[in-house]
Amino acid sequence: MKQRVAITGMGVVSPIGNTVADFRDNLLAGVSGIGPITCFDPADLPTRIAGEVKWDGPILRDRKVTFALEAARQCMEDAGALFAGGGLSLGIGLELFSLDDMAAFRVNEQLPKSAEERMTFLQTPSDLTAHLISHRWKLTTPPMTQVSACAAGADALGAAHRLIARGERRWMLAGGSDSMVNPMGVGGFCKLTALSCRNDEPQKASRPFDRQRDGFVLGEGAAMLLLENWDDAQERGAVIHGEMIGSGNSFDAHGISEPHPEGRGACQAMRRALADAGLEPEQVDTINAHGTSTPKNDPVETAAIKTVLGEHARRIPISATKSMTGHLISAAGALEAVATVLCLQAGQAHPTLNLNDPDPECDLDYVPHQARPMDAQVALSNAFGFGGQNSSFIIRKNPGP
Amino acid sequence: MDEGSKIASADSIVLTGLGHVLGAPCDPRLFLRVRKNRKFMGLQDDLAVVAAGHALKSAGLADTALGERTGLYLAVGYIPFEHTDLDSLMEGSLSNGNLSMELFSTTGYNAINPLLTFRCLSNMPAFHISVNFDVQGPYFVTYPGIGQFYQALEQARAVLTAGEVDIALVGAVAAQRNFLVEHHHARLQPPVSAEVLADVAGCLVLETESHARERDATVRGRLLRHDLAYQPFNPFEHQPEFHEQFDGGELPHGELGPASLAVGLSLNPSGVLRHEAQTRDGFRVASQWELV
Repeated sequence: MKQRVAITGMGVVSPIGNTVADFRDNLLAGVSGIGPITCFDPADLPTRIAGEVKWDGPILRDRKVTFALEAARQCMEDAGALFAGGGLSLGIGLELFSLDDMAAFRVNEQLPKSAEERMTFLQTPSDLTAHLISHRWKLTTPPMTQVSACAAGADALGAAHRLIARGERRWMLAGGSDSMVNPMGVGGFCKLTALSCRNDEPQKASRPFDRQRDGFVLGEGAAMLLLENWDDAQERGAVIHGEMIGSGNSFDAHGISEPHPEGRGACQAMRRALADAGLEPEQVDTINAHGTSTPKNDPVETAAIKTVLGEHARRIPISATKSMTGHLISAAGALEAVATVLCLQAGQAHPTLNLNDPDPECDLDYVPHQARPMDAQVALSNAFGFGGQNSSFIIRKNPGP
Repeated sequence: MDEGSKIASADSIVLTGLGHVLGAPCDPRLFLRVRKNRKFMGLQDDLAVVAAGHALKSAGLADTALGERTGLYLAVGYIPFEHTDLDSLMEGSLSNGNLSMELFSTTGYNAINPLLTFRCLSNMPAFHISVNFDVQGPYFVTYPGIGQFYQALEQARAVLTAGEVDIALVGAVAAQRNFLVEHHHARLQPPVSAEVLADVAGCLVLETESHARERDATVRGRLLRHDLAYQPFNPFEHQPEFHEQFDGGELPHGELGPASLAVGLSLNPSGVLRHEAQTRDGFRVASQWELV
């Protein structure tokens, strides 16, 4: 029998707040976290803006490792004392490649002496984060590391959800972490002309569904959720933030950098999530869109939502978190899961910033500019990846005791 | 093994296709349905597509559009990066031996081949398999070793058992003879020589026995049992030792990364085969297969 899956912990490190409370306040207030890049000198790169995490403490060379550890710490603290039998499912970004280190290596071809420096010198393997988290919290079940690009955070949640629903785990620490705000990350995306170049107006650069959008804005950060067997959560008296009730993913099997024109894969992912949840499309009350602010994604996602939800799509609020945070790549789906839970709890749809001139092909209700009250019980969230990987999940508000 | 262990002997999941490729270069053109994507493909993509193509051919599915009822479960090795690509980037970015962002942002960055990004991303082998064999079903793309291949296998077993897919491609690919992957292995304690690293991919086709029977597929084997366990460790302090054993058949010499089991099965397609490994990332895995 399928087990119910409670959400009993959350942790966030993001461009708009490094605690769940700060993230929620800024999310609902419509605060942009986009600004000039400060963590390295972008010099004359075409894009010189990003959604950076404001971080004052010590930080590892690969920022996403530190972000993940902090989000995991918050999440585990929030969850409280857990039963044995948990695990980790992590969506993680590309191995960090350091140009500074490469320059040094060319001069002396020496590796650093200490193990920590050696293991992060020049390149940091991405699975290192999962091992550090597993070691810190003594997680003895095999950690799952997912590398499906922009869908990875959502896929990590989906995989964790299915393990608990099948009764194979009692709880899972699940989420994503990423930072590509570094020379190779920004330079690589610039070469693909994927990023917004609105350097003079950083806070207006991420504008999902707007006619004037010119690409996405890189963000960085981490988000973790504690997914737990519902009965266990109730038995130990945990605070249940929400319920994950369905997940699904799919391939477009179409284009390397453009989605299927009719959103075939996106539709399939949403339908699988709905089927997994046992819901009809009309039972979706709100959507957290992938909403990247790229010319190609936004109209295709709109079309896919309309295909799956029919006329009902026009009656529900749809929010794009990336308008505030930028695109956290492998962490995006996880951060947007936290956003989804917080909006359900608050009874508000968070705003989509900078939607001044809606694209005629993007003709749904995207909650422009300001948060809006909503009486929503069920939210769908989308995460679609470069290379045609699509992941969707569904969260239900905890109806309370 | 510990609580992560699984026994999968009594279910009806059978192996109907096997494929592998060992060594570079390898030419994927035979399997490309979308030839315009050739320019986006790096070695790891070539390897993954060729292994999947051979596996599907052996399963009698070479000319079948697989569609929504086929899933892909893929373990990808460390990200490959060639020295030549880095050289051109660095040449235009250095000033007196130090990185100059001024130079990088004007000269070095412009030396990057825009296709380079596509050729090294971990999710690109999955993309190329999906687009060339029309895989539209669910997926699990993980990284970077044989422990994760077993996780992919476990995910595939679960979705097949649940009836969520009819066919599961379970694959692994590792492009390791390049600057970045060799760098990673050189810093391990003890270091791993580049000489033992292989460019390799393997792929299995799994399906339910009833589905195989319906389409008159040849059953090539069964997974009798598999185990997966993990011991947490601090990667900044040490890496566990690596050990791998393959009984009942032979594995090529060297380190095959996540692909060792799939390659071993593909190379030794009969008898009872046992695979065991203890990995540098804390996994202990084992499986037993009966191949016809």
